[in-house]
Amino acid sequence: MLDADVEVDRRSFAVRARLSVGPGERVALFGPSGAGKTTVLEALAGLVPIRRGSVSLGSRCLDGVPPWRRRIGLLRQDPGLFPHLSVRDNLLYGASSDASLGPIAAELGIDGLLGAMPARLSGGQAHRVALGRLLLAHCDALLLDEPYSGLDAGLRRTLTALVVSLVVERSVPAVLVAHELADAQAFADRLLVLDGGSVLQSGSPSSVVLRPASRRVASLVGYLGFVATDSGVAGVHPERVVPGAHASRGLVLSGVVSALRPAGAGWEADLRVGDLRVGDLRVGDLRVGDLRVGDALVTCRLPERPPGTEIEVTVLDPPYFGPDGAAVFSDFSDFSERRRLDR
Amino acid sequence: MAPNAPIAPGQRQAGYEGLPRARSASAWVSVGGALVVWAALLGPVITLIAHLSWGTFWSSLSAPGALDPLVTSVESGLVTLLVLVACGTPLGYLMARGALPFPRVWETGVLCSLLLPPLVIGLLLVFMVGPYTWIGSLLNWFHQTATNTFLALVIAEVYESAPYYVLGAQAAFAGVEPRLEQQAALLGDPPRRVFRRVTLPLAAPGLAMSLAVAWARAMGAFGAVVIIAYHPAGIPLQIFTTLQETGLPSALPFALVLLVVALPLPLFAYIWSARAGRRRRG
Repeated sequence: MLDADVEVDRRSFAVRARLSVGPGERVALFGPSGAGKTTVLEALAGLVPIRRGSVSLGSRCLDGVPPWRRRIGLLRQDPGLFPHLSVRDNLLYGASSDASLGPIAAELGIDGLLGAMPARLSGGQAHRVALGRLLLAHCDALLLDEPYSGLDAGLRRTLTALVVSLVVERSVPAVLVAHELADAQAFADRLLVLDGGSVLQSGSPSSVVLRPASRRVASLVGYLGFVATDSGVAGVHPERVVPGAHASRGLVLSGVVSALRPAGAGWEADLRVGDLRVGDLRVGDLRVGDLRVGDALVTCRLPERPPGTEIEVTVLDPPYFGPDGAAVFSDFSDFSERRRLDR
Repeated sequence: MAPNAPIAPGQRQAGYEGLPRARSASAWVSVGGALVVWAALLGPVITLIAHLSWGTFWSSLSAPGALDPLVTSVESGLVTLLVLVACGTPLGYLMARGALPFPRVWETGVLCSLLLPPLVIGLLLVFMVGPYTWIGSLLNWFHQTATNTFLALVIAEVYESAPYYVLGAQAAFAGVEPRLEQQAALLGDPPRRVFRRVTLPLAAPGLAMSLAVAWARAMGAFGAVVIIAYHPAGIPLQIFTTLQETGLPSALPFALVLLVVALPLPLFAYIWSARAGRRRRG
């Protein structure tokens, strides 16, 4: 179990984070560039001094313990292979014996590269070697700092799956830093959203994405449009929009397509929602009420090119936010309960 | 052929034929230019060999005590290298890592000794370590003196060659990615072992080249030496005195000896650095 409650001074702000990662558990620190994610990892690894707090790994308290005695592995975007050592020597760098070299090299698919120099390796091979080096060094925890940025999508998926299986198999706590939500979702079973040095929300990836705790979290996890309604501001995620009016499934919006562009296998449309449009919010068969929709520009992904410029779309189960930016209610049952009491 | 006429298989379009020719011409011009520069740099050596009379060569070197300056130069040069490695390497490392307070002050200090003419360094050394200074008194307490002794020769050579080694070492260490050192530490190595296993091997080619340059400077040190260490004479001073006493032809054999003795280490360092680079590239 990796437990940390750290506060680290940075030039412009202090980074505060509290996390607890169990054996085999995978946590992702997600946030924009400069949020303090890497600082948290470096504090866990002992590379930066912490102002307040403590870090423990299993039964070991790591306060004041230098990096070389922590047994925490760190994998960065740059695999950090030693260029003067062969792949074999890199793998064995922190290992106490070479007994596990063969099996781990075979498992990682690098057993044919042991005699090669790092300069000859491709990006994916170099990351596999770096991962193997951490495994052979018997690290008790694994930290990954955006390790696969710059690699193509297929290779990222393969390497992420490989790391996940190794973390689970060896029961080591793992923390990933990511600024791409997809990377964090593919890796983690728990997500911490970090911004401006503070953890804004923690939870399962799906709960954070579908029920962001604040408008700021919503914008970080991909909500590109916010529509003012009578009940607060509804967050519109481009991938949570379906064409047509399906009042039972969420918020129905009518608007004019102001821009349209191909996106992946479908289309991405910028929809101008007028101030006088009226939406209809339902929970199941229950009609909860009419909603006045404010003027807004929302982006939505559609499977097919819309037939005209005026279209109707349904935002599936959108989160709502109050004037202070905090989520107004956590789910629809909560909302309907509140409306019932109001009456 | 008409401009839009189809091109038959194996036939090359006129526009493309000119390009390789132009490239080839520019390549030859480059090689020619490089050859001229190389020949100009090597000119003195070629002249030395061309003007050397082998009879004079043997008679000069077979005279009693003729090779003593060579032994003195090699010995003082080796001691100088030891001093530079022991003191200059940590200084270069600390400067490269920005671990010293007011780093620009340290760099300026090293640059000052590089910019001062060797003759001026010699003059200043007399005022610094001469017999009537407090350092001189301290040395005297150990029955040593820093003028006209082997110690004086080493001091002069150290002052003349140290900036080349320290600045070269700084550049060599600065070229080692600090994240590699961090990675080695995270893999369980304490700082000293990181230095031995990662930092030093990665900086070694640069350090070797710096040491080679420093060796060449030490072997050829004259300006400071002639002021502070006239005795025991090394080869540069021997060349100077022979030139003054018996003329140019008698001095040439010692110039060749200096070249032959000073050249192998830099050459070895260059070849070794190149091989280390090739090995890293796989």
